[in-house]
Amino acid sequence: MDTHRESVEVVDDAVVRSFARAALLAALIGAAAPVSIPLPFSPVPITLQVLFVFLAGLVLGPVWGPISILLYITAGAAGLPIFAEMRGGIGVLVGHTGGYLWGYLIAAGLIGLLVHRGTDLRDPAEEPLPVVVVALVAGTIVIYGLGAGYMAWLLELDAWEAFLAGVAPFIPGELLKMAAAIAIVKSGRIAPIQS
Amino acid sequence: MLSYEPDDTVVHRLDPRSKLAFQIGFAAAALAHATPRALIALTGLCAVVLAAARVPIRETLYAYRLAVAVLAFVPLVAAVTFGPPWIDVDDGIVSARASYRVFLILLVSAAYVRSTPVRHSRAAIQRTVPGKPGQILGVGVALVFRFFPVLQADLRTIREAMAARLGDERGPVERASTIAILGLTRTFERADRLALALQARCFAWNPTMPPLTFSRSDVPVLGLSGALVLAAFL
Repeated sequence: MDTHRESVEVVDDAVVRSFARAALLAALIGAAAPVSIPLPFSPVPITLQVLFVFLAGLVLGPVWGPISILLYITAGAAGLPIFAEMRGGIGVLVGHTGGYLWGYLIAAGLIGLLVHRGTDLRDPAEEPLPVVVVALVAGTIVIYGLGAGYMAWLLELDAWEAFLAGVAPFIPGELLKMAAAIAIVKSGRIAPIQS
Repeated sequence: MLSYEPDDTVVHRLDPRSKLAFQIGFAAAALAHATPRALIALTGLCAVVLAAARVPIRETLYAYRLAVAVLAFVPLVAAVTFGPPWIDVDDGIVSARASYRVFLILLVSAAYVRSTPVRHSRAAIQRTVPGKPGQILGVGVALVFRFFPVLQADLRTIREAMAARLGDERGPVERASTIAILGLTRTFERADRLALALQARCFAWNPTMPPLTFSRSDVPVLGLSGALVLAAFL
């Protein structure tokens, strides 16, 4: 009988811990898809997905934050119903809401870069408030810019129509999510992995 | 909700990589061409795929009802113009064709979702993307599938506990941040335990994967996928 010999290349401690957090945060983003909170002054409720995308950048940083979103996108493409409206499959990635999903990926990386300014993670609770606010605003602009831009190109809309259909209804909810994200990181209850 | 269902159709027996290639080809062709002739051809192809995978049409349309509603609504937004003549029919028709092709792409991906088990998708990812990125993606996707129902239950528990304490009568920011803080702390506790368990089981960059092989029935599907991708450039 042949014996198959191969040495085992064990994964580093810090990588395993960051990887486990990234994978589970991706599952949490998916699990949050059906959770919505109604707003008294807007027909569009708050969904928590974008809030967790913000937190991916804030807590996991510029490397593992985007990896977490990439895992979320890949799991959704493989068929798990974790995209908005409980959908899954590659079709959603190129469909009318696909731009937002790719926006999440870039936004998590951008927020991570602006807040942590490097791959060594800082505690976002100790960062000055303006830095966090600028990072969140920049992330939101990326998500909605890509989302509405792609929708306009795909469905042959002009810029104003895309803004009406893909950005305007979500503005109040986004402002509240930024407030919630800031409250969460400033509470200091969630510490990043510092190696 | 649409998910994998065991069956014995031609599409179920195909290699997941050729099914992924077909979806990419179909999407590329549909995004490149929105002419009436192209749409008729793509509709026919889509119908063949749905029939071959025995996708239940009514359930699928119900699962995609919100997407269908948005895709039906968008051409109306495109048709409305500010100032006379108020309704621009041509603009609406262009947008309606564009919306219809997105609908076809969603249906084809529904056939993939119905006919492909998760471990096949994972093996396909890990064999297509080489090295450590492939490992991270493959293992990560498997973990997302495993923990998705667990974290859904966590979120449900948190919301029920909030409702029992009249937490759902508080302001939206407070509700969102409470759910997110509790959800995230629970998730990270689980992640830290998972990391310890992975290390205890010698989590490595080079585990053994299940075998995947292309069969004879994959050849026409791969050929058609290539033709569709080429058609996108015509």
